[in-house]
Amino acid sequence: MWLSSAAASADRHSATVRLSLGLFFFIMGAKKENNDDEMDEKVKKYLRGEAANLEGLKDKKLKGQLAVREDLYGKSAKTAAKIEKWLLPSEGGYLEAEGIEKTWRIKQESIAREIDISSSKNQYDIVLPELGPYTLDFTSNGRYMAAAGRKGHLAIVDMKTLNLIKEIQVKETVRDVVYLHNELFFAVAQKKYPYIYNRDGTELHCLKEHGAVLRLQFLKNHFLLASINKFGQLHYQDVTMGEMVGNFRTGLGRTDVMQVNPFNGVVALGHSSGTVTMWKPTSSVPLVKMLCHPGPVSSLAFHPNGHLMATSGKENKIKIWDLRKFEVIQTMPGHAKTLNFSQKGLLAAGTGSFIKILADFSGSQNYNSYMTHSMAKGYQVGKVLFRPYEDVLGIGHSMGWSSILIPGSGEPNFDSWVANPFETSKQRREKEVHSLLDKLPPETIMLDPTKVGTVRAPQKKEKPTKKEIEAEMEAAIETAKDTDFKKKTKGRNKPSKRAKKRQEMIERAKKPFLEQQIQEHERSRKKQKTNPETEMPKSLQRFVRQKAA
Amino acid sequence: MAVKKRKERAVGGESGNSKKFKKYSNSKGPMKKNKNDKRKKGKGPRLPSALRTELDRLDPKIASDSDDGIDLDVGNDVYEYEEEVPQEESRKNRRFDPVENYEYELPEDFEDENVPSDEDDDDGDFGVGGNKGSLNDDVDASDGDEEEDDERHLRMLQGVTGMSTDAFGGKKKRNSVVISEAHPESEYNPTRDVLEGDSHITLQDLLDPIQGKAGYSKLRKRVQHMDRKSTSVQAPLPKVDREKLERMAVYEHSKKDITKWEHLVKRNREAPTVFFGGDVDLGFSTVGAIASEFEPRTEFEKKIASLVYDDKVMEAHKADGSKLLELNKISEEDYMKHQDHVAKMRGLLFRHEMKQKRIKKIKSKTYHRLKNKDKLKVESAEMLMDPEAAKEQARKQEFKRAEERMTLKHKNKSKWARRILERGLNAQDEGTRAAMAEQLHQHALLTRKINTVKDSSSSSDSSSDDDDEVSNEDRASELLEKAKEKTLKVLEDDEEVPNSGVLSLPFMVRGMKKRKEEAIEEAKLALQEYEQLEGTNDAENSKPATASGRRVFGRANNEVPDSNKKTKTDNKMKMDNYYGNSDSEDDLKAKENVNIEGGKRNDVEKDVGPNYDRKEAADVSIFKNFEDNGDPGSKTTYEVAIFASDSRRKMKSENGIDKNAKKLQQVKEAIVHDKDMEEGEEDSDSESKQMVDGILSSAPKESYELPSQSELIRHAFAGDYVEEEFEKDKQEILNEENPEPDKPVLLPGWGQWTRVQQKKGLPWWMLKEHEDSKRKREESLKKRKDAQLKHVIISEKVDKKAEKLQTKSLPYPFTSKELFEQSMRMPIGSESNPETAIRSLNRPEVVKKPGVIIKPIKFVEMHHHEKSEDNKRSGQKQKKNKSKGASGKNKKQSN
Repeated sequence: MWLSSAAASADRHSATVRLSLGLFFFIMGAKKENNDDEMDEKVKKYLRGEAANLEGLKDKKLKGQLAVREDLYGKSAKTAAKIEKWLLPSEGGYLEAEGIEKTWRIKQESIAREIDISSSKNQYDIVLPELGPYTLDFTSNGRYMAAAGRKGHLAIVDMKTLNLIKEIQVKETVRDVVYLHNELFFAVAQKKYPYIYNRDGTELHCLKEHGAVLRLQFLKNHFLLASINKFGQLHYQDVTMGEMVGNFRTGLGRTDVMQVNPFNGVVALGHSSGTVTMWKPTSSVPLVKMLCHPGPVSSLAFHPNGHLMATSGKENKIKIWDLRKFEVIQTMPGHAKTLNFSQKGLLAAGTGSFIKILADFSGSQNYNSYMTHSMAKGYQVGKVLFRPYEDVLGIGHSMGWSSILIPGSGEPNFDSWVANPFETSKQRREKEVHSLLDKLPPETIMLDPTKVGTVRAPQKKEKPTKKEIEAEMEAAIETAKDTDFKKKTKGRNKPSKRAKKRQEMIERAKKPFLEQQIQEHERSRKKQKTNPETEMPKSLQRFVRQKAA
Repeated sequence: MAVKKRKERAVGGESGNSKKFKKYSNSKGPMKKNKNDKRKKGKGPRLPSALRTELDRLDPKIASDSDDGIDLDVGNDVYEYEEEVPQEESRKNRRFDPVENYEYELPEDFEDENVPSDEDDDDGDFGVGGNKGSLNDDVDASDGDEEEDDERHLRMLQGVTGMSTDAFGGKKKRNSVVISEAHPESEYNPTRDVLEGDSHITLQDLLDPIQGKAGYSKLRKRVQHMDRKSTSVQAPLPKVDREKLERMAVYEHSKKDITKWEHLVKRNREAPTVFFGGDVDLGFSTVGAIASEFEPRTEFEKKIASLVYDDKVMEAHKADGSKLLELNKISEEDYMKHQDHVAKMRGLLFRHEMKQKRIKKIKSKTYHRLKNKDKLKVESAEMLMDPEAAKEQARKQEFKRAEERMTLKHKNKSKWARRILERGLNAQDEGTRAAMAEQLHQHALLTRKINTVKDSSSSSDSSSDDDDEVSNEDRASELLEKAKEKTLKVLEDDEEVPNSGVLSLPFMVRGMKKRKEEAIEEAKLALQEYEQLEGTNDAENSKPATASGRRVFGRANNEVPDSNKKTKTDNKMKMDNYYGNSDSEDDLKAKENVNIEGGKRNDVEKDVGPNYDRKEAADVSIFKNFEDNGDPGSKTTYEVAIFASDSRRKMKSENGIDKNAKKLQQVKEAIVHDKDMEEGEEDSDSESKQMVDGILSSAPKESYELPSQSELIRHAFAGDYVEEEFEKDKQEILNEENPEPDKPVLLPGWGQWTRVQQKKGLPWWMLKEHEDSKRKREESLKKRKDAQLKHVIISEKVDKKAEKLQTKSLPYPFTSKELFEQSMRMPIGSESNPETAIRSLNRPEVVKKPGVIIKPIKFVEMHHHEKSEDNKRSGQKQKKNKSKGASGKNKKQSN
C-alpha cells in the first residue's frame, strides 16, 4: 500500500469544506481532461431525463410554454451542475492495492498509521460486558448515536466529540433502538412495549398498541414509526399526531428482520420461510412477496438508491437483488447476521465476530470483497451500521460497541437541506418545522414513487360495489314511482288500480337488479361448494386454517 | 335620316322617364314600352308574328316579357286581327310612305307646353286613331327597315365585342310618333312628347313659365350648371349588400390599424409571466419628502413652526453652525434649576419605586383584596363629581357596616324580633313576616361576607400544598386503615347476649352465634385483603423511586386489582412453561429442549395473539429460536448455541428449577409482589450468565464450533418445501384474482338417453365456453407483472388512497402522455433547484402588486431586429435541445 500525494490534497479539501472524513488514500481517476464533458454529464444528471420533444406538437401556445419551461430547466440544471462543481468538490476515496496487495488484507491498525488524528479517533472499541449485546442507531446526519444494550442500557453519544450525552437504564429487555426525525427523540423496543424517550432520557410515550416489538424502523419522510412484534404484526404509527396508520398481520410468523427502503419508504420483512415481503401502510397485503432463500432470511439491507437489496439466508448465501426486475444479480457464499449498505453503496456483512465489507467500485453491480475485520474472539456482532457522512462503520456486538474505518463508505458532500452533521440547535428547529411541513402522507409510499403525478394507467373495469348497485336500484325505483299515468277511462282510473299499476312498475324496475343479485349469490354458493373448507362437517369447520387477509 | 334618328333617340331617352301620359295611337310605341313598363293597360294591338320572331331574336328576354304582357292583353284588344299582315310583310305596298314626310321636327330648345286634358286626350286618341291607321302602317314599314339595319348592326357589334345586345339596346329606344294636328304649344296643348306617353316634365318645362320674372336667370344658370355636371345616379344597392361592402371596407381599414398591435400581443402571450405595475409611484419615499409637505395646523404646531422657522435660526443655519451654538446657550442659573428639578424628580421616582416594590412583595390575599376594594372605591368616588363628599359618605357607610357586624342587629336579636318569634311566625301578618325575612336577608348578606373572609384566610394559612399532596397519596391507605379498624372492632366486640326478651330464646342465641361466626370470618378475610392491598400500595409507591423515568399513559394506579389479575395469569403461563421445561430436559438434548421451550413459548404467544398461524410457526420455530433473542427462554438458546456444554446446561436447568420453586412460593405467599420479584430475579439471573459469557467469550478457543450433525441436517432440509409452498401460495393468489373456470358438468341423466349421446360427451358449446374462459384466464395471468418471475408475487391490488396521486386524464393542453410526463419530470421546489432558478420556475403567469391599477396596453413601436428575434426564438430553442440530445447520445456511444 502506498499513499499518494492526493491524500494531502484531500486533506486540504477536508480542511476547507470538510464534509466527509477526509480519509482519502487515493483519489481515483485522473482529472478529466475535458471539463465541458464533465459539466455536460452533470447537467444531464440534473435534467433528470430527456427534454420533451416539441417537434410534432401542434398546439403553438403549449409549445411556447413548454419551450420556456425547458429553457428554465436547462438553466436550473446548469446552475446546479456548477454548484456541484464548485461547492461540493470533495470526492470520496478508497483503498487501492498495489501489485499483489489485496485491499481486504489491510488491517485497521495499518490504516490507523496513515491517517490524521481526528480520523483515528473513530477507531475504538467500547467494552461493556455487563449489559449484553448492543444495537445501534445513528441520526440521519450521523452526528449522534443511540446504543441500546439488551439488559436495558440506553446511551446517547455525540459522535463528534464522543461525549456521552445521556445514559439511562430502563431495567428491561431492550431489543431495538431507533432515532426519530432528529436526535431529540428515539424509540426503544422494550420487553413489552416500545417507548419513546427524549434526549434527556425522559419517557414521553408508551406505545402499547405495538405490543412486544422485535424491530423498529422510522420513515423520516413520512414520520411513521414501523414495528414488527412477536406475533408478526406490522404496525405503522404516525409520530406527529400519534395516529395508528396501519396494523397488519403478516401471517408469516415471527421475524426480527425488517428494513425500510430509503428510496420509497416500503418496509421489507424477511421471514423464516425464505420469503421477503414488502409492505406499505395502506395495503393489507404485501406489495411484493418474493422467495429469496430456501432457508430463513437472516437479514436484509437496501442500497440508498433503492434499486438494490441484499439478503442473507441461513443456507450460507448472500444475495444481491435488483428491485426493478426482482432478479438476483449476484449470489455470494457466506453467512450474515446483519447487513448494511453505506451511502456510497458499500455492503457490510457481519457474522460471529467477523465483518466483511463488499464493494462495487466498477459500477457493474458486481460486489467483491473490499475489506474485512475481525473482532476479538468471542464477540458476537449483532448489528453493523455505517455512519452517514463519515467513513466509519459502527458495530454493535455482545461486548459493547466498536467503530472502524472503512474508506470510501460515507458521502463526502452533505446537503444541508437533507442532513447537516454540523447542525446547530436553531437549524435543527428550523429543519424540524420544515420537515413537518413537508411530511408525506402515508399513501405516497409505493413501489415506484416516480409514478406520483403521472397519468394513471387505464384499469380494468371493476365490478360495481354493493352500495353502487343499491343506489342504482333506488334510482330506478324512484323514477318508476314518479312516472305519471295517463288519465284512463272511468273504470281503469280507480285509485286502487292506479296503485296496483304503480306497484307493478316498481317491481319491473327492481327485477333486473334482483335477478343479478340472485345470480351472484348462486355463483358464490357454487364457489363455496368447490372450496374444500366447506366440505367439512360444520362442527369441524371452525378448525380450518384461516387464510391471512 | 341620321338627324332624325338622333332626335328620336333623344325623345326615346326622354320618354323613358315619363310614365304618366300614354298614347295608344301608335301600335308599336306601347308595344316597345311594354318591355320596360309594367303598368301597361293591355290595350296595345297584337304584334304580327314576323315582328315577334324578330323581336325574339333580338332579345329573348324582352320578347318573353312582351309575350306575357300581350297574353294579359289578349282579351281586351279589339284591333289585333284587323292588321293586315301581308301588306307589311311584303313591303310592296308603297301606300305606306316613310314617315319622314310627316315627321315634325322639333327645335333644339323645344318646349312642350301643351299638356292635354284627359278628355282631350281621349278624343284625340279616337280621332288620331281613325286617321292614323294607314299612316302608322307606313311608319311601321320604314321602321321595320331601319330595325333590320339596326339588328344587323347590333349583331355585328355583338359578334365583335361579345357583349349582349342590351349594351347597345339604348339605340333602339326611340319612338316615331306622328302628330297630325299642330296645336300651338301651350300648357293646355301637350306637345308631342307628352302625347307620346313616355314624355315627362323636365325642369325646362317648369322653368319656362317663369321666364322673365325676377331670379329666372339665376335659376336657369343653376339648372344649366347642374345639367352640365349631372350624371345618372344609379339605384342604391340593397341594404344587405351595402352593409357587407361597408363591413369589408371597415375590416380592411381596422385590420391595418390592428396589425400594428400584433407584436405586443404576441409578446405578452409568449411571455411566461406578465408583470403589472412595474413603475408605480409610491408617493413619498423618504421622511424628508414627507416632511417637506408638512404644514402647521394646530396652535402648538404653529408655535413650533414659528420657532423653527425663526429668522434668526434660519439665518444661523444659512450662515454658519457657530451661530446656532450661541443661540443654544443657556444661563447657568437655568441649568442649575433644571438640574435640581431633575434630581428632585428622580428622588421622588426612586422612593415611589421602592414603595411599589415593597407593596408588590406583599402576598397576603386579604391585603390584595382590600386593595382592590379600595381601588374600586376610589373609582366610584371619582365617578361622583365631588370627591370630598363621596369620601365622607363612603366612610359613613363603612362605619355602618362595621356597626352592623358588631351588633348583629339583624339576627333576630332585637326585642321586637324576639317577641315575634316567641309568638310564632305563623301567627303574624304578612307585613311583619316580610319585615323579618328582610332583616334576615340583610344579616345573611353581611355574615356571608364575614364568612368568606374567614375562609380564604384560613385556607391560605393552614392548608399548605404539601399537605394536600400527602392527603391525596395517603387517602387510599387511610381509608384502608379505617376499614381495618372497623373490622377489628367487629371482631373485638363481644356482644352481650340479652338475658331477657325474644333474643334470649335458645334458638335465637344459636342463630346469632352462627351469624357472628360468619361475620368474623368475613372480617378476617377482609383484613387479609386490606393487608395485601397495603402491601401493593407500598410496592407501587416505592417503584417510581427505583425505575426512573417510566410513565405509563392512560390507566395508571387506579386499577390495582386488574394488574394483579394479569400477573396471576402471567405467572400461570410461565409456570406451565417451566414445568414442561423441567420434564423434557432429562430426555432431550440441549437444543431440542430449547426448541421445545421455544415452541411452547410460541404456543403461549399464539394463545395471546388470535388467529396466529400455528402450523407455520411450528414449522419454522427451529430457525426462529436459533436466531431468537426476544424472550428469556430463547435468550438462553442463543447462548447455548454458542457455548453448548453440559455444565452450562446443568447450570441453566438448575436455574430453571430454582426459579420454578421460587415462583411457586411466591405465588403461594403473595401474588402481588410476584411480578417485581420475578423481574429482579430474571435480571440478576441473566446478568450472571452474561458475566460468564464475557469470561468465556474472551477465551479464544470457543469462538466457533462445528454445528452438530442433526443441526446440519436440519439446515440442509429446512428449505425443502419452501419453494413448493411459495408456488402454492402464488397459485392461490392467482386463483383468487382470476378463478379457474368450472369444469362443464351435465345434469345427471341429462343427455344420457341413448348410448350415442353418451359417447358424444359434452355438447360443443359447453366445451367452447370452457376453453374460452380458460384462455381468458391465461391471458390475464400473462399480463401480470410477475408472470415471468417464478419466485415473486407482485400484488395487483389497486390502492384507492393512492389513486388521487395520479391524474385520471391528461390535463387540458396536453395531448400526449409522454409530453405531459416529461414536462412533469423536473421538480420545481426549493430543495431540488438552485436558488437562482427557483423563482423563475415558480413565478405565476401574472405578477401584480395589490392595489395596482392595470392600465390599458400602450402602443410601443417595435424595432426591426427585435421582430426578427421574436420570430426565430422558438425555433432556435428546439434546435439547441436537439443538438444537446444528440451530443448526449454520442457520449453514450463513446462511453
